[in-house]
Amino acid sequence: MSHTRLLFLSFVIVVAGSAQADLVNKNVETVVDISSQLAKISNKVTVENVGKTTLKSLIFGVPAHLKERTSFVTAKVGEHLLRVTETKLSGQDGGFWKVDLRSDLAAGRTLQLNIDLVLSRALVPHPGQITQKEKQLVLFEGNVYFYSPYLTEKQSLTVNLGTNSVESYARIQPVSQSDNKLNYGPYEKVPPFQEERLNIHYENNSPFLTITRLERLIEVSHWGNIAVEETVDIEHQGATLKGSFSRYEYQRESQSGISSVKSFRTALPASAVDVYYRDDIGNISTSHMRVLSDSVELELRPRFPLFGGWKTHYTLGYNVPSYEYLFNQGDVFVLKMRLMDHVFDDMYIEHLITKIILPEGCHSIELTAPYAVERLKDTLHHTYLDTKGRPVISVSKRQLVENHIDDFELRYNFAKVLMIQEPLLVITAFFALFVLVIIYVRLDFSISEEEEHSRVDREHKDK
Amino acid sequence: MHVFTLMVTGRFGARVYVAYCTLYCLGTILAMQISFVGFQPVQSSEHMLALGVFGLCQLHCFVDYLRGHLSASDFQVLFKATIVATGTILAVITGILTITGKVSPWTGRFYSLLDPSYAKNHIPIIASVSEHQPTSWSSFYFDLQLLVFLFPAGLYFCFRQLTDANIFLILYGVTSIYFAGVMVRLMLVLAPVMCILGGIAMSGMLNRYMKDVDASPVILGMPAGNLAQGKQGDKRSKHKQESNFVMKSEIATLFVAIMCFFLISYTMHCTWVTSEAYSSPSIVLSARSHDNSRIIFDDFREAYYWLRMNTPEDARVMSWWDYGYQITAMANRTILVDNNTWNNTHISRVGQAMASSEDKAYAIMRELDVNYVLVIFGGLTGYSSDDINKFLWMVRIGGSTDRGAHIKEWDYYTPQGEFRVDKEGSPTLLNCLMYKMCYYRFGQVYTEGGRPPGYDRVRGAEIGNKDFELDVLEEAYTSEHWLVRIYKVKDLPNRGL
Repeated sequence: MSHTRLLFLSFVIVVAGSAQADLVNKNVETVVDISSQLAKISNKVTVENVGKTTLKSLIFGVPAHLKERTSFVTAKVGEHLLRVTETKLSGQDGGFWKVDLRSDLAAGRTLQLNIDLVLSRALVPHPGQITQKEKQLVLFEGNVYFYSPYLTEKQSLTVNLGTNSVESYARIQPVSQSDNKLNYGPYEKVPPFQEERLNIHYENNSPFLTITRLERLIEVSHWGNIAVEETVDIEHQGATLKGSFSRYEYQRESQSGISSVKSFRTALPASAVDVYYRDDIGNISTSHMRVLSDSVELELRPRFPLFGGWKTHYTLGYNVPSYEYLFNQGDVFVLKMRLMDHVFDDMYIEHLITKIILPEGCHSIELTAPYAVERLKDTLHHTYLDTKGRPVISVSKRQLVENHIDDFELRYNFAKVLMIQEPLLVITAFFALFVLVIIYVRLDFSISEEEEHSRVDREHKDK
Repeated sequence: MHVFTLMVTGRFGARVYVAYCTLYCLGTILAMQISFVGFQPVQSSEHMLALGVFGLCQLHCFVDYLRGHLSASDFQVLFKATIVATGTILAVITGILTITGKVSPWTGRFYSLLDPSYAKNHIPIIASVSEHQPTSWSSFYFDLQLLVFLFPAGLYFCFRQLTDANIFLILYGVTSIYFAGVMVRLMLVLAPVMCILGGIAMSGMLNRYMKDVDASPVILGMPAGNLAQGKQGDKRSKHKQESNFVMKSEIATLFVAIMCFFLISYTMHCTWVTSEAYSSPSIVLSARSHDNSRIIFDDFREAYYWLRMNTPEDARVMSWWDYGYQITAMANRTILVDNNTWNNTHISRVGQAMASSEDKAYAIMRELDVNYVLVIFGGLTGYSSDDINKFLWMVRIGGSTDRGAHIKEWDYYTPQGEFRVDKEGSPTLLNCLMYKMCYYRFGQVYTEGGRPPGYDRVRGAEIGNKDFELDVLEEAYTSEHWLVRIYKVKDLPNRGL
């Protein structure tokens, strides 16, 4: 009997504490989108509780070889997001997540869930090195069946390739190819934890850019301005360029270097002003800024086109008004800003470091992040008119995708009277300078007697 | 020189003595603190004159001191003896030092100042620098404008009232104008004294005429002043006064107005020159396209940044020495030669590599252990300071040392003696490494409408050698407008059986 293998999402109904399958996936429809550099899987699952007890949560998972590649997981019922936590199942080496249901699932009832996964680095360039003339082919190794601790009665899978030039794909019947899609299934009665490799080797010329390091610096000022600066190290991690780069062919032939990246679009907050785009050696002049109604769209062109294996580095900065992000009541302030922002569509960030610089005199600082982040040690930053230094909160996270764009909340206390400290410093400095000059010009350091004499003589004359 | 002149003209005094001694001692010691300068002020012959004058100062003061204390005849004897003794000692010491080599002989740069054609004949590297060329009249006017005319006037005013300071100005002005005429870069030396002398001239002239601008109160003052002169002068000037009396203030006002106009135009000229010629960086070029929009050529930074990001950290880049500093600063890679390289043989070796055929050049590049080669090519955009235009200097410098003896400049010219890159060009030129690197794949590019492919916009010719392949190099990166071309040196081929 040929077991059909399911891809990533599998809905499993688990009775708390027991590994028995009391849930059955009645119907699973999976759509795998591998037209960009990320693999986005969305499953529409109908689950039935065939046990006798009410269930509060379910479990789903991915096969072992995809565990490290999973970047982002969500589960929704209708429009409501459910809480998803990572979990382990004894005896199984895949990656599993537990979904907490909003309302308990009574025995005999069914529930429809949407489970979405985003996988990064699941598309491997194959061959790993191509010349400038060739197209980029990637290999996707997934799972045909739902990887689930429960039995699946019916499952169908659609793979969205974005192109119709496919070198090879796993012939797991029934399968058909149409347009840019591959249709697998429907598969009947799939046992739990069923795995069968879904290997698709196809052409994918979308940008395979990885941001190896993104450092986001948010500097908050209570005078009404928040300055954001992002330092980005970006690398093309598709098939590396073999041989020479011919500028002639690149300019003349439109198909030459088709997998290289010439420019990308970054969306900044709508109120961003004073945008600058520079790097180590100066300002980069090749960029276009368009102010739209809901965002500022910046089309950034790196100094040179990025071919496989090439990297570049730039710094992007802008100012936003603080009334949009900083809220306060009395002495308690709350900063609500995005932990990371959009760099380009379908992006993948290997390492993110976000630093928030608060004004001097802030204390009792609490950070609430939307997902698990590593909080680094607080440091001090010294800049204009600082005496003690400004507190810097740093967080770090790895393997992020666009879906991770979310707000964090930073709560702190700041005595409003401390805002006077900065102008007071300047005033005191000037005051001291002027007083010093006033005193100095009235001092008399003359040594010789002539001056004194002449002064005395003059006084005599006046008399 | 100034102090020497003062001594000769008899103006030497305690003031000058103190000033010069302080300046010389402190200045030399402070200059020697800079590691680059080191002990040169006491060793190299260019500084000998200053040392000599210093010694002479001491002697002069000593002599004056003695003169005050000895009787006349004793003094004469002692004076003569001292002069003879000192002269002999100096000659002997200098001779010994020069022979043993402690004191280095005059350097090439110095010789080229005295004899402008020295560099061209003997040291091509010094001759190749464009700032070392003799100054043209147009560049004098471009840099100085009004000061060119005020300079002689300033000299005249200085001569009228000879004081210590004026003598200094005269000497400085005359010597620096000679040197500025030899080398363009010495215009810098000329600038301050030009300004000073121009200012003296201007203020002298304005002083003279400003007094005449106001008509009425002068009437009383004039006769009194003229009475002090001789009778004849008195009559004449009274005449002059009476006859020119009406026009004097008008002429004066006119003159002052003209001077003001000159000064204003001078200011405007200076600001324009500074903004156009001395402020625009040549690292980012811009041009106006046919529809008057600005095109920016940021190729240099693009290529250097590519080098910085996409080559191994220890990669070595070979290029002509003009770009050495730029590559070090922006691309952060090791280079072979830059503006500060003193080793003529090394630069000559790079020149030989650029001017030889591919095989010979490969041997030189392996010897120098080069990973990447960088050339500047302006044929697509019309940028005229590119490496093909500098190529003849590379040939001259390459052929100026022993190992480059096989490189002869006339091999690269056509039989008629022209430097051409089209079909008529010399085959040595059409097959040398620099040519191949600049024009690789260029033969198929259409640069201008109505011209054949491979038309070089700077040389104004269709290139001669079009379809060739590179054996030992691989094109690593070419910038957007083909201004910078970077090639990777291929490894030795795997020799299998």
